[in-house]
Amino acid sequence: MTPKGVTLKSNSRKMKFARRFICTLLQMRKPRPVSLSIEEVRARGQRIKIAAYWSMAHAVGSRRAWSRALLFKLRNRARYQTIMRRRSPGLKTKRVIKNDTPGELSQTKKLRQLVPGGKTMDMCNLLEETAHYITCLATQVKVMQTLADNFSK
Amino acid sequence: MGPKEKLPAHRVRTVILPAFRKVGLVPLFQQWSSSRPLWICLSRLGSLHLIVRGPRFLGEGSVIWGNYVRIHPYPARARRNRTRSAPIPGGIQRIVNLTLENASSFTALLELPATQAVELLHLSQSEEGTQAPPSGDIFQGIGDDHKPYLPSFDGNLTFPSNRALIEAAAKFSVFAAGENSPETSSVPSNSSANLGKVKSEPAETDSNPNSSQPLVPDPTVENKTQRSAKRKEQRKRAKGLRRRARTRALKKLRKLPYRHSELVAARREKINARMKLLQELVPGCSKVRLCLLDYAAFNNGFVPVTFSQKRCFCGKISGTALVLDEIINHVQSLQRQVEFLSMRLAAVNPRIDFNLDSLFATEGGPLVDSNFPSMASLSTVSRNPIQWNREQYQQQCPFDALHQPFWGREEDNHTFHFSRELPFES
Repeated sequence: MTPKGVTLKSNSRKMKFARRFICTLLQMRKPRPVSLSIEEVRARGQRIKIAAYWSMAHAVGSRRAWSRALLFKLRNRARYQTIMRRRSPGLKTKRVIKNDTPGELSQTKKLRQLVPGGKTMDMCNLLEETAHYITCLATQVKVMQTLADNFSK
Repeated sequence: MGPKEKLPAHRVRTVILPAFRKVGLVPLFQQWSSSRPLWICLSRLGSLHLIVRGPRFLGEGSVIWGNYVRIHPYPARARRNRTRSAPIPGGIQRIVNLTLENASSFTALLELPATQAVELLHLSQSEEGTQAPPSGDIFQGIGDDHKPYLPSFDGNLTFPSNRALIEAAAKFSVFAAGENSPETSSVPSNSSANLGKVKSEPAETDSNPNSSQPLVPDPTVENKTQRSAKRKEQRKRAKGLRRRARTRALKKLRKLPYRHSELVAARREKINARMKLLQELVPGCSKVRLCLLDYAAFNNGFVPVTFSQKRCFCGKISGTALVLDEIINHVQSLQRQVEFLSMRLAAVNPRIDFNLDSLFATEGGPLVDSNFPSMASLSTVSRNPIQWNREQYQQQCPFDALHQPFWGREEDNHTFHFSRELPFES
């Protein structure tokens, strides 16, 4: 079954991610769209993106802070959405984040916003998690690229 | 009598250990007072001196306010009230010598029952111990409640003038001052070492290995003149020792900020190490060093450079800022890539079912040939769930199989459609 000359690392993070991602993709295939509009494609893309992040976080496990935060966020996504819907627009306008003066402080803030769960970390942890997150994102991108290439052939 | 009564702040005073640093309100936990009973005495000013076995930072002259202890900033000032305190090996501190200048009755009186006090210090037998002293009203209350910092205290306390007791106490104090007799029961050295405190009065105190010995003063021997002379000596010695202790304390204090800076430096090092790790991860980060080099080559100290330019050129802050910028850009680009790829997959996705058969039927197919090695194993590993999925899927909606050729037809059109509409479908 296994192709020769290829080293198998079934437990690597990449493999785990790929497996999970493909599984989720196949699950998502169920509601088949008869006619695809751009909006549908976008929604689908969103879902695929979320699936990718979810599978990545699952592959990493709950050992890392960012994956924990991501999983938590995705798990409670529906609830958040309902809460956000219920909220009056006045509240939303109040919650606009002010942009600070450009500098290191705002940069760290940016980084905190980018890395999931970064708002609660201190600087040391943030950098560590960022490093891990970057590596994971890179593998994710690789896997997705290969998948896309293969499917679009 | 009730435990919730609070004494006025100037009335209650802890006399604990000379060496402590922190200033502020510290919660006086129940455990400190209830489990480890103290020695209580009244100073001539009418304030209650409590000797608390507490954490290290409780100090002489700190004041108990209800459930809090206000720690005195300068323990030396408290000692200026001529109360000398000394640690005892278990970490229990007690008064060795109280002020006796006016020979005020109550201080001496309360000082006296030494055997019971020692017992008190060592065990939590406060009830037996505290009932004995003559002004028993206070002490009984304390003993019952196990809360020595909350005794009922009314200002009009009558202190019985027991002459013999006063004398005995005075002699005891003199003993403590003049001779290195074992009865003084002041400081063994190891306690101060254990507690990390300033060793006060080492010469006097080291001669006492057994502090638990009861203090038995003999009232017959002493003269008043002798007493005064000895007291003077004692004072001189104490002054010198106080100075020494103070200098030591100051030295310790001076060391404190350095330690803080060390901590800060360690943290900075940690952050720097992480930054380096990130620099290795992020491809564009070597630019930063180039930039720094450029500045060195560019300026040479001749060209006037604005502050902002300088900031972006050189210096630690700008270096970290640039690295952070690079990191942020990298993360953003990766996230965008993920988004783009997901869109691409979404656009391509209709083909999956079409390709699946060909993909997984021929194992040496496109997945294995791709330059992504682990994907090859993917085809085999994930074969089972996929097949299972597929079978289930076909069972669930059987008409799907009928539509399959239709899908194959439709799909080309769709892809074409998207390639026109969406720019990423190149």
